[in-house]
Amino acid sequence: MPEVLAVNKNISIENSWQLPIFERGGGYSRAKRALGTMQPEELIALMETSGLKGRGGAFFPTGMKWKFVRADPNTPRYVIANGDESEPGTFCNRINMEMDPHLFIEGMIIAAYAVDSNFAYIYIRGEYGRAIERVGEALADCYANGILGDDVLGTGYKLDMRLRRGAGAYICGEETALFNSLEGKRGNPRFKPPFPTNSGVWKKPTVINNIETYACVPLIVENGAEWFQNLGEGDDNAGTKIYCLSGSINNPGVYELPMGVTAREVIFGYGGGLPEGRTLKGFKPGGASASVLTPDQLDVRLDPSIAKYDTIMGTGGIIVIDDTVCMVDAAYRDALFFEEESCGFCIPCREGTPNLVQILERLMHGQGVIDDLRLMGEIGDSMASSFCGLGQFAYRPVVGAAKKYHDEFVAHVEGSCPAGTCPIARN
Amino acid sequence: MTQARGQVDRSPVVPSPSDDSAALETLRDRLQEFKNEPGSLLEALYVAQDMFGYVTPASIDMVSEELGYPEAHVFGVVTFYTLFYTEPQPKHIVRICRDLSCHIAGAEKIIERARKEIGAHPGEASADGVLKLELVSCIGQCEKQPALMVNLDVHGPVSEQGVSDLIRRLREEDQ
Ligand SMILES: Cc1cc2nc3c(=O)[nH]c(=O)nc-3n(C[C@H](O)[C@H](O)[C@H](O)COP(=O)(O)O)c2cc1C
Ligand code: SF4
Ligand code: FES
Repeated sequence: MPEVLAVNKNISIENSWQLPIFERGGGYSRAKRALGTMQPEELIALMETSGLKGRGGAFFPTGMKWKFVRADPNTPRYVIANGDESEPGTFCNRINMEMDPHLFIEGMIIAAYAVDSNFAYIYIRGEYGRAIERVGEALADCYANGILGDDVLGTGYKLDMRLRRGAGAYICGEETALFNSLEGKRGNPRFKPPFPTNSGVWKKPTVINNIETYACVPLIVENGAEWFQNLGEGDDNAGTKIYCLSGSINNPGVYELPMGVTAREVIFGYGGGLPEGRTLKGFKPGGASASVLTPDQLDVRLDPSIAKYDTIMGTGGIIVIDDTVCMVDAAYRDALFFEEESCGFCIPCREGTPNLVQILERLMHGQGVIDDLRLMGEIGDSMASSFCGLGQFAYRPVVGAAKKYHDEFVAHVEGSCPAGTCPIARN
Repeated sequence: MTQARGQVDRSPVVPSPSDDSAALETLRDRLQEFKNEPGSLLEALYVAQDMFGYVTPASIDMVSEELGYPEAHVFGVVTFYTLFYTEPQPKHIVRICRDLSCHIAGAEKIIERARKEIGAHPGEASADGVLKLELVSCIGQCEKQPALMVNLDVHGPVSEQGVSDLIRRLREEDQ
């Protein structure tokens, strides 16, 4: 089965990021049609019937989100693209921003019109130098060519759009932390409710969507809701997903496939399997936040229903783990990430993440005791009450790995690393 | 945000770039555009950092004065984000990803090699003051595993030899 090219259709064309190339492929004709000939309510209904759900990890129905924002009488309303992409193992938004920035911008224009907003922000993580450059250039070209500004595409609609950079903080991908960052504050999350649809940036009704979510929008306007629905695998899935593959895999990269393909198809079909001599030990379906699945679970579908296996689909960053990787060490990598990225605002997460790191360090240095395994579960239980999604998810991959690879963890307590690759094996 | 394990910020090795009054006046001019742009504090801080190599105490004062934030607010923001520095930095910051995909692809060996070549532990400047190693969270370049950035320039996949060559080139460039 070949890759499905919808969102990623243009990315391998020469100079794909340039405005004339984008327009040659039909670019901005969808926004023009939407703003010129369609009612906002009609667009929202189109998104609802298309089945588009947010690609940022929570899979909230996009049409419904827009409807809530439009229904709030408070003005002005804002539209935001979340390009903070910082989940380990995830890089698809980066490629879309670098290679086809106009596609998601066109989606944002349509979103703005649908919710009657005249101001939009694009927030990109500060590490993404090339994406920042290309999106900045794209915005300048839009203003110079009447695509943004006081008369969007000659329709009389007014829309301004600003690019803002993050400065190194995973937590700013969480929508309310992102609002604070945009407002010139530390990126701590806010309490929900109120939800962004009623109280987002500047406490105004705000549509915030992922880059990939916006990139789907022009394609739905062009090809219709039914086309989009049919792209997905099974009845519950609409559209494609851009899966990212990394770790122990022959062909790391992005693969745009029907939402809901199996892990086996992605890893062994598209990714070319593991390097020679390596065998599959496990895989994480959605970046660091996702708990590891075992080789006997290769036929699970990579869609939100994966939650029934105690893991998450997240942003579709699949990390393949082979037999030479120590699972205590792998869990340690996740724990380190969350310790570093915890914003420090609430106690369960601020205290829990370093505690997990310490326990895993002990285990990898032969200083662990059997009670450490129970202790990790207890820390996890306390972290479940964290203020935001970071802390609420951070412990799960660690506790999950300790449960699924129990014997390997116990072996570390007894002084050996079965994979032979963590510090204990080198002593 | 906590420092990555093993990272200790040492006192500056590089002399602080001048933030004399002429340079500060230039900063003042450049800050004017942010006055009409609510919330653009991070962008303003980027301007200061690009001018002086780090966010100097004098630029914190100037930003808070020009944009109307309390100094404590500006300082709080600067220290929240890992890409902002409140101390002078070496010219080349070698940021190696220590997260899972890169780890699986051999990041540990790359980090070890870089540590030797730079001759300093993560977070500390090299003796000649031109290089520093940082172990960082995923930089979103996982298909280039193991990946690193020199400042914001991306390299990957990098081999041990590759990281040695790269660091040598950076040193030569500086002479
Ligand atoms: C800790 C944390 C980090 C997040 N990081 C991102 C991110 O980098 N990009 C993103 O689009 N959504 C991220 N999200 C989800 C956002 O909060 C939000 O749900 C999303 O941007 C909504 O867009 P969507 O409906 O199109 O998915 C994150 C959530 C949490 C809890
Ligand atoms: S859970 Fe962690 S990241 Fe979220 S608010 Fe608490 S400390 Fe901050
Ligand atoms: S895990 Fe290293 S760049 Fe993503």
